[in-house]
Amino acid sequence: MTEKTVTVNTPLAKTFGWLHVNGTHLLAGESAPEKRLAIACGDEKILILNEAVRLKAELEDNAVFRLIQVRYAEEESRAVNDIQVTCGKDAVFEWYRVILGGRATYDNCSVTLAGAGSRFEANIGYRLEGEELMDMNCEAIHTGKKTESLIRASGVLFDRASKLLRGTIDLRRGCAGAVGNETEDVLLIDDTVRNRSVPVILCSEEDVVGNHGASIGRLDEDLLFYLQSRGIDNASATELMAKARVDAIIRRIPDGQLRAALLKED
Amino acid sequence: MAADMLTVKDLRVSVEDSEILHGVDISIGPGETHVLMGPNGAGKSTLGNALMGNPQYTVTGGEVRFHGEDLLEKSVNERAASGLFMSFQNPIEIPGISLENFMRSAIEQRSGTKLRLWDFRKQVRATLDTLQMEHSYAERDLNVGFSGGEKKKAEILQLLLLKPSLAILDETDSGLDVDAVKTVSRGIKEFQKDQEASLLVITHNAAILDALHVDKVHVLVNGRIVKEGGAELIKEIEENGFSAFEEAIA
Amino acid sequence: MSETKTHIEDVKRAFYDFRFEENDAYRVRSGLTPEIIKEISAEKKDPDWMRDFRLKSLEIFERTPMPDWGPSIEGLDMDNIVTYVRPNAERMNTRWEDVPDDIKDTFERLGIPQAERTSLAGVGAQYDSELVYHNVRKEVAAMGVVYTDIESALHGEYADMIRERFMHLVPPTDHKFAALHGAVWSGGSFVYVPPGISVEIPLQSYFRLNAPGAGQFEHTLIIVDEGADLHFIEGCSAPKYNVANLHAGCVELYVGKNAKLRYSTIENWSKNMYNLNTKRARVEEGGKIEWISGSFGSHVSYLYPMSVLKGAGARSEFTGVTFAGAGQNLDTGCKVVHGAPDTTSYVNTRSISKDGGISTFRSAIVVEPKAVNSRSSVSCQSLMVDDISRSDTIPAMDIRTAKADIGHEARIGRISDDAVFYLMSRGLSEDEARALIVSGFADNVSKELPLEYAVEMNNLIRIEMKGAIG
Repeated sequence: MTEKTVTVNTPLAKTFGWLHVNGTHLLAGESAPEKRLAIACGDEKILILNEAVRLKAELEDNAVFRLIQVRYAEEESRAVNDIQVTCGKDAVFEWYRVILGGRATYDNCSVTLAGAGSRFEANIGYRLEGEELMDMNCEAIHTGKKTESLIRASGVLFDRASKLLRGTIDLRRGCAGAVGNETEDVLLIDDTVRNRSVPVILCSEEDVVGNHGASIGRLDEDLLFYLQSRGIDNASATELMAKARVDAIIRRIPDGQLRAALLKED
Repeated sequence: MAADMLTVKDLRVSVEDSEILHGVDISIGPGETHVLMGPNGAGKSTLGNALMGNPQYTVTGGEVRFHGEDLLEKSVNERAASGLFMSFQNPIEIPGISLENFMRSAIEQRSGTKLRLWDFRKQVRATLDTLQMEHSYAERDLNVGFSGGEKKKAEILQLLLLKPSLAILDETDSGLDVDAVKTVSRGIKEFQKDQEASLLVITHNAAILDALHVDKVHVLVNGRIVKEGGAELIKEIEENGFSAFEEAIA
Repeated sequence: MSETKTHIEDVKRAFYDFRFEENDAYRVRSGLTPEIIKEISAEKKDPDWMRDFRLKSLEIFERTPMPDWGPSIEGLDMDNIVTYVRPNAERMNTRWEDVPDDIKDTFERLGIPQAERTSLAGVGAQYDSELVYHNVRKEVAAMGVVYTDIESALHGEYADMIRERFMHLVPPTDHKFAALHGAVWSGGSFVYVPPGISVEIPLQSYFRLNAPGAGQFEHTLIIVDEGADLHFIEGCSAPKYNVANLHAGCVELYVGKNAKLRYSTIENWSKNMYNLNTKRARVEEGGKIEWISGSFGSHVSYLYPMSVLKGAGARSEFTGVTFAGAGQNLDTGCKVVHGAPDTTSYVNTRSISKDGGISTFRSAIVVEPKAVNSRSSVSCQSLMVDDISRSDTIPAMDIRTAKADIGHEARIGRISDDAVFYLMSRGLSEDEARALIVSGFADNVSKELPLEYAVEMNNLIRIEMKGAIG
C-alpha cells in the first residue's frame, strides 16, 4: 500500500513541468489546527503564532489584521502552514513571516484583495542552514479597485539549505488602479545551496502597475571591499550581511518586544 | 624629520590589464596633510584604491610600506586594522545594517573587545554633534536612500569613529552642497586635531582645500607624478588648471 | 482618419493572406500511423536510420502527454493535420526561373528574391513541406560555407555530421511535439560554417505554409565551427484558412568554441496556426548565441528558444518582442542552462497585448553547481493596451551555486497618458501616438534587426495598433 500524499503550494499559474515548481507533494501528516477569524469593521488585531496553522480570515471594511509567525532555529518538525485571507474595503492584512530554521517549512499564503482600497503586505525573512528546506507560495489576488500588494522577501542560505518561493501578483479584470510589487533578495553563502524563485505577475486589467525585482547571489565584491576597508574580515562581513538580510524583515515586525528579542540587541 | 608613515615606491597599478599608474612615489609623514591633484582620468582614485586593496585594481610593481610594514601583502581588513582608511567616492548601500551597528562591528573586530551598546551610542552621538549632524543618522540603514551629500557625511562620521592614522579622502568634496561641504571640512579639522594623524586628500578642484593646512601637493597626470611642491601649487592650479602639466609631458 | 485605417488594414492583411490554389503534387492522408510515417520516409528517400528514427519518434509521440501548463491546444486535432505536402516542383532549384510560377509569385510578393539581391548571402525558401529554392552567393560558398537542404545533406559528405547531431539537442523525448517532429519532419536547412570563417552578411530561410489543414515540420541544423561567425534570419508566414494549421519545426544550433551565431526570427504565421516550435543552441567555450525574436502571428504559440551554455565563458543573449492581438494566445520566452563556469546570459523581452489577445512571457534560468562565477540578468516588460487583454509573466530561476549573480526584473503597465498627450501636443493623432509609443516599446528588437526587417516589424506593429482601434 502506498502512503497517502497531499499536494500543497499549488501556484495560480503553472510553468515547465521539469522545474518541479507546480506544487509540492507531501506525505499526508498531522494537519495543523484550523482557525477561523472574522475581524469586524474598523477593528485592529495583532496575532503572534509560533506554530503552523490553517487559518481562514475575513477582514471586514477598514479592518486591520497583522499576523506574525516566527519559526525558530531549533524546531525539528515539519510545518505546513496555510493562510487564506479575504479583505473588505480599505482593509489591511500584514503577514510577518520569519523562518530562522526548522527542518522543513511549507507555507501557503493566499490573499484576496476584494474590497476597494484594501492592502496586503507580506514581509518574509529567512535564514536556512544545514539541510533545512523552505517551500512557499504567496499570492496576492487583486479583484478590487485601487488595491495594493507588496511581497517583500529577504533571506540567506547556508550549507545545503534549499528554498523555493513562488510569489504571484494576480491583477484581475476590474482591479483598475491596483498596484502590485514584489521584491526578493537572496544571499547565497555556500556552493551547495539551492535557490528557486518563481515571481509571477498575471494581469488582465489595463490600468494597473505590477513590478518585480529579484537579486540572487553571493556577497557583492564592492560591498565586501567596503566592509573590509573598515576593518571587518571576510567571515564577519558574511555573518554581518547574513544577519542584515533577516533583520531587514524583523525590524518591520509591529510588536516591539518580539522584535527586540529577535534582533538580539543588547 | 620623523620617519615616514607611508612610503610608496615606483607603484604600478593595472585595471583589467591596462596600466593606469606607471610608477608612483609618495611619502607621507605623521601628522602631515598631502594633497593629490590631477585632471580626470589621471589615476588619482586608482592610487587610493590600490593602497586600500580594492580587488579590481592589480598592483603589478613597486612597494608600499605603512608603519614600516609591507602594506601590499595585507588583506583589506588588515590594512584597515593597521590604521588606513579610505573614504569612498560611491559608498555602498547596505540595507539591514544601521550605521551605528556597522561601526560597532568594525571597531569591535579591530580591537577584539566588545563595546557596551550605551557607551558606544554616546560616542556616536557626540561625534554626530561635532559634525552637527542629526542623531537619526546612526539609526538609518547604511547609505540606503542617502543623498550624495549624506553619503559623504556618513563617510566622514566613520572616519572620526574609526580614528585611523592615515585617511585617504577620495573626491570627498565632489558634488556636495554648501551644507555638506561645511560638515566635511569640520570633520577634517576635527581629524587633524590628532597631531599624529595624516591625510591624503584626493581632489581635482581646490575649493575644499582653502580651509586646510596643507604640507605637500602632488600633481598626478597620466599615471605619473609630474610635479610636487607646497601649498602654493594649489593656487597655481586654481589659476592655470592642469594644462601646463599635461603639455609638459606631451 | 478612419479612412486611412481601413485602407491600411485592407491592403496589408491581403499582403500575407493572398493564396493560390493548392496545386501540390503529393500529400499523405491526414492523421498519424506507422504506415503514413513509412510512406513519408519512402517518399523522402530517407536512409534506413532515419526511417527507424521516425518510427521510434512516433512511438514516443503516442505515449507522451500533452503539456499541462500552457495555452490550450484543444482546437488542434492531430487526426486532421496533413503532415506531408510536397509542392508541385522540383526540390532544391538553384535558379529562381526554375521555380513554378505560382510559388515564385508567392515569394516575390513577400519580397524574398528582392532581399536576396540586396542584402543576403544566401536564401532558402520552403513551400509547405519542401524547400523549393536554395541559393548561396558564390563568394560565400567559396569560403567553404555550406547552405543546403537537410535531405540532400543527409546523403552527401556531411551525412555523418548530421547523423551525430540530428535531434541530439532536442531529443524526441523532450516533449510531445518534439516527438511529432522526429516522426514527420521535412524540409529545412543545413548550414555549416568552417572554423574561423566570418560570414559578413546574413543567410535567410523563408517558410511558407500554403496548404490548408497541413503541418509544417522543417528542421534547421546549423553548425558554426570554432571561431566562425554567422547571422541567420528566419521568416515565416501563411495565408489564413478556417482550419487549424500546425507548425512544429525544430532548430538545432551548434555554436563552437569562440564562435558566434545570431539567429533572428520574424514570425508572422496566420492566425489559425498552432506554432509549437522548439529551438535550442549549445554553446561551447567562449562562444556566443544571440537570439532575436519577434512573434506576431499564429493563433497559439509555445516558443522558448533555449541556450545550453556548455563551455566555460559561453554567453547567451535573448532579445524578444511578442505582440498578441485578437484571438491570439502567444506563450513565448526563453530558457538558459548555465552548465559551465563564467557563463553569462542576458534576457530582454517586451510583450504587448491588445484586443483580447493573451501574451505570456515564460522563462527558466538554471545555474548548475559547476557554473561558478555565472551571471544572468533578465528584464521583461509588458504593455497592456486595453482592459480586455491579458499579459502574464511567469519566470523561474533555479540557482545551485552561491558563486553566481542573478538579477531579474519584470514590469507591467500601460501606455502613459502623459506620453500620448505629449505626442498629441506635437500634432500626432491619438492612434498615431499610441502606435509610435508601442513601436518605441519594441525597439529592443527592431534596433537589432537589419534595416529592412526592422521596417517590416514596425509596419506590423502599426497595422496591429491601427487596425484595432477603429
